[in-house]
Amino acid sequence: MTDLDPQALARARARVVGAAAMPAEEPVPAGLLRVADRERAWALPAWPDGATPAVLEEYQIAPMPLDRPGPARRALAAALRCCWRRLDDSPWPGEAASLADVLEVHAAITRGDEELKRRWAIGDLRRLADTGWLLLDEKAGVVRSGPRTALWSEESLAPLRALLRRMPPPPAASPGEEG
Amino acid sequence: MNELLEPLLRPYDDKRRAELVAAYMAVEHAAEPVPEVRFPALREPALRRTVERMLGLSGRTLIKTSPAHWTSGYSDRVREALAADPACALPVSDRAVLTLVLIHSVAIPRAEGLLTDDSWLSPYPAPLEELRRRSQLTISELEGALRRLRAAGLVAHVKAGPDEASGGYVPGPQFHRLTEAARRRLQEQLILAAGPDSPLAAAIRARRRGTGRGRA
Repeated sequence: MTDLDPQALARARARVVGAAAMPAEEPVPAGLLRVADRERAWALPAWPDGATPAVLEEYQIAPMPLDRPGPARRALAAALRCCWRRLDDSPWPGEAASLADVLEVHAAITRGDEELKRRWAIGDLRRLADTGWLLLDEKAGVVRSGPRTALWSEESLAPLRALLRRMPPPPAASPGEEG
Repeated sequence: MNELLEPLLRPYDDKRRAELVAAYMAVEHAAEPVPEVRFPALREPALRRTVERMLGLSGRTLIKTSPAHWTSGYSDRVREALAADPACALPVSDRAVLTLVLIHSVAIPRAEGLLTDDSWLSPYPAPLEELRRRSQLTISELEGALRRLRAAGLVAHVKAGPDEASGGYVPGPQFHRLTEAARRRLQEQLILAAGPDSPLAAAIRARRRGTGRGRA
């Protein structure tokens, strides 16, 4: 057996660390995609030939199961509606939004008991933050787009933009801000 | 284009290249092992070796789970290195909960002869109530641990009926992704956790001490 390739190990490590950020000055292992904001960077997978995990659909193979997929999508949509204000730009890095605004948009697009919805929505937002789709600071009450949104290809953004335009705007948004 | 994989993919024509990429994405992202009959690059040994080399660039390897099914996982040496890295280890509460799930859903049914082979998948859920009682964690710590373990595919929730509380947790789809050596290691760890005073556990400890000295 050959020696352990330090670059391969570094890429494996980046995969395990996953949604956890590293300091922005730390280099990303070669062959991975660097996504960064001012202070932090994330090493995300770079897939060959523009393939995405959506290729599984073509082969009718099930992807990793997601907890509460429908509610998770609605929570993500509510967060994006607040964090991705200028829809002509890309979703990453987006803008910080208050958790209260996200919950208000979420409440407007879902039905049921207000308190229960709120509790479920926070659980869904936490799961989305665990997996890098959102950045959530519960103490500060702040939500942002997650680094994984930077992986979305430009052609996949059009239907997402159309969907978000149909959703109720966040409470503080003035009409001039709409993208 | 992907700078990392390009040197491996370049020799192939477009069709082969697409087959290699599809097989690579499938073993890396599917929940379950994928059947080779659907993926020429898994079926043909020469192409399969290329898929294996593609995975190897990121410390991964191909794993055959049944005669014609494949998935991917960390290669043994990479797994050992990652396990020794504190940044890669699961938080202690997550490990405690995962161990309880494995004891209840795999070790106990196996000891009772209900699970015969060395599979890490089990139809016997560890009841949530049991996890609450035995884990010594607060409810919110336990919920946090289960949330992370579920997101990572390390446990899966099973409903026993319409009532959420009546179900429990079984090992998740990631347990397909263990190499032969990783399965053996996990089996030993489970013996050490479930029966630390058993003769089997003593034998495992003695052998490990021997190997440790041998390496030193």
